[in-house]
Amino acid sequence: MKKLLALLLVTVLLLSAASALAQTKLTVWCWDPAFNIYAMEEAKKVYALINPDVEIEVIETLSVDCETKQTAALSSGQTDTLPDIVLMQDNSGRRFLDTFPGAYFPMDGLVDYDNFATYKIDKFTSDGKRYAVPFDNGVAATFVRTDYLEAAGFTLNDLTDITWDRFIEIGQKVKEATGQFMLVTQAGYADFVSMITQSADFWFFDEDGRPNINTNPAVRAMVEVIVKLHESGIVKEAVDWSEYIASFNNGSAGSTIQGCWIIGSIVLAEDQAGKWGVTNIPRLDIESGTNYSSQGGSSWVVPASSKNPEAAVDFLSKTFGASVEFYQTILQSSGAIATYLPAAAGPAYSEPHPFFNGQKVFEDLMSYSAHVPLVKYGVYNYEARDEIVIAIEAIFNGTSIDDALNSAQSAIEFIME
Amino acid sequence: MTALRAPRPRGGLDRKIARKGWLFILPAVLLILALSFYPMVEAFLLSLQKGSGNQLTYGGLSNYQRLPKDNTYVTALGNTFFYLIVQVPVMLALALILAVMLNDSKLMGRGIYRTLIFLPCATSLVSCSMIFLQLFSNNGLLNSLFLRWGWVSEPIPFLTNAVYARLVIVITMLWRWTGYNMVFYLAGLQNIDHQIYEAARIDGASAIQQFTKITVPLLRPIILFTTVLSTNGTLQLFDEVRIMTAGGPGIGTATLSWHIYRTTFESVPRFGYAAAMAFTIFLMVAALAFIQMKVGERK
Repeated sequence: MKKLLALLLVTVLLLSAASALAQTKLTVWCWDPAFNIYAMEEAKKVYALINPDVEIEVIETLSVDCETKQTAALSSGQTDTLPDIVLMQDNSGRRFLDTFPGAYFPMDGLVDYDNFATYKIDKFTSDGKRYAVPFDNGVAATFVRTDYLEAAGFTLNDLTDITWDRFIEIGQKVKEATGQFMLVTQAGYADFVSMITQSADFWFFDEDGRPNINTNPAVRAMVEVIVKLHESGIVKEAVDWSEYIASFNNGSAGSTIQGCWIIGSIVLAEDQAGKWGVTNIPRLDIESGTNYSSQGGSSWVVPASSKNPEAAVDFLSKTFGASVEFYQTILQSSGAIATYLPAAAGPAYSEPHPFFNGQKVFEDLMSYSAHVPLVKYGVYNYEARDEIVIAIEAIFNGTSIDDALNSAQSAIEFIME
Repeated sequence: MTALRAPRPRGGLDRKIARKGWLFILPAVLLILALSFYPMVEAFLLSLQKGSGNQLTYGGLSNYQRLPKDNTYVTALGNTFFYLIVQVPVMLALALILAVMLNDSKLMGRGIYRTLIFLPCATSLVSCSMIFLQLFSNNGLLNSLFLRWGWVSEPIPFLTNAVYARLVIVITMLWRWTGYNMVFYLAGLQNIDHQIYEAARIDGASAIQQFTKITVPLLRPIILFTTVLSTNGTLQLFDEVRIMTAGGPGIGTATLSWHIYRTTFESVPRFGYAAAMAFTIFLMVAALAFIQMKVGERK
């Protein structure tokens, strides 16, 4: 009897061990429950129908934490702490790929790249190889409270295809009429530095990757606009991210100009349903100024240290890289707009959005996408942006624009040397 | 202060006992060598290497030569010394005064006051910073109250104005560390004989004279100790800056440790350069500690 029990026990153990071995486990790091995590959970459901033997665990990790953890792991060599899939900001792509060569798994031949927007793939191409599955579109737009505009006698059209000077004028009238700030952004205006420069088809570096902060007409015009915004009194400068989100959720700011992924956070304020509208962003009053830009946007990468890189890439390519229905599902509640081109032809993309008063926001955003100026991001994007933020702070305190930009230029040259 | 000298081993038995003594402390010494000194040596070697990420090559003292040209480093150095010069004296003076006040045996509820003043340093540095961030932010408690009471018409930019932000960080540190130093002083005060104060009072000394002529000189070693400790801590200030202002506005509140963290983890990582910066902090702390001890030892 005892022998039989022992035999049964061993058999059960072996079977469970065997099935545990057969089950592949993938861990994913990403942030934002309203957006990326929600999209991942939906992707899991889609993939469970294709390959039920794969177990996927999503661990919520802030963007900044994802990056510091990867830096720590890759520089110390302790790569077993890294997950199988990690979400990465497009702005950081080249930094990680070039600073840690060989740390990420190349995906050529495993992902249907022909159907993705080229500008997204370029951000994660290094040495001719491609390393990421592009995810969300960072196309920027002005998201505005149409009821505040009406109170001041304006419509959404009055905010379309305008310059920043006109935006400030309208903002001042809105503030008089409603008593609320027209616009909210994070103190320091870091987001605007990147977004506005790109809207005029420039970046912080020239063709050869050398910084040109003090000679670049777009940077100068952008700095002047930010100084005007700061002095106009229409901008609420939020201390941190949670205050930023709270400001439009509680109505103390009438608009936000940001990448379209902010929709996930805007729709959290259910009492504001029907009161929002979307239009393109104001342009710089220079020759190359446009009303379109992008801000943020991220892609999925697979660290080379993963124990199941092929499984990870297979999961990504069959969901984010192939499933048109998946992109329709995640669209409505998160605003996660695809850069997978066939998805844009799907039905959800032409639905009127109730929160935005029936406006077909996704159609509009996809049409803006087509006009976003393509600029070449370098490796030192965040450093250049931060030096310009420091320069702007100095200008607020009285330094001349020329001096501040010259200091920023020497600072970034110093960092890059 | 003369150091105690162990008696020189004379006979075989003494030598055996001395050897046993060394064997007892050997594990601790080995651990300190392995976990403290070896990393220090490695860090110094790292500071001689330049490059980013994993691609490091030996470059001699180039990292150190780079330091004066780094605008962020120079600004952070200035800010760190600002915190040092403003916060440490104020905090120690406050701690000393509180300790003297709470040493009065006639005061009711002394135990409660002491506990309440000490409690802040038992909190986690991160939680403390996050709560002060909430207090001082534009939407925060202070601004909400001021707006409601009509004291101001727009929120005060506590954390987005460079001067205010630095003062807010000083206030956060004061709140947190005053109690810690106060406990040291209270302990020291227990060692001062009551009768000295009685004698002084009989001779007609006022409270202030008692404080400056009796308390402070007798507490000199403890004041020296807390000064060195506080200097060390303030020169390495990081948590409050990282959480409350992220170094901002711009780099208005940046400290050296914050710059090191950013260079290592947030920007394109340059470990050699960050290690060089860390060594400059080490040299500054060592120099300041040496100066303070020399001043403190004056008889």
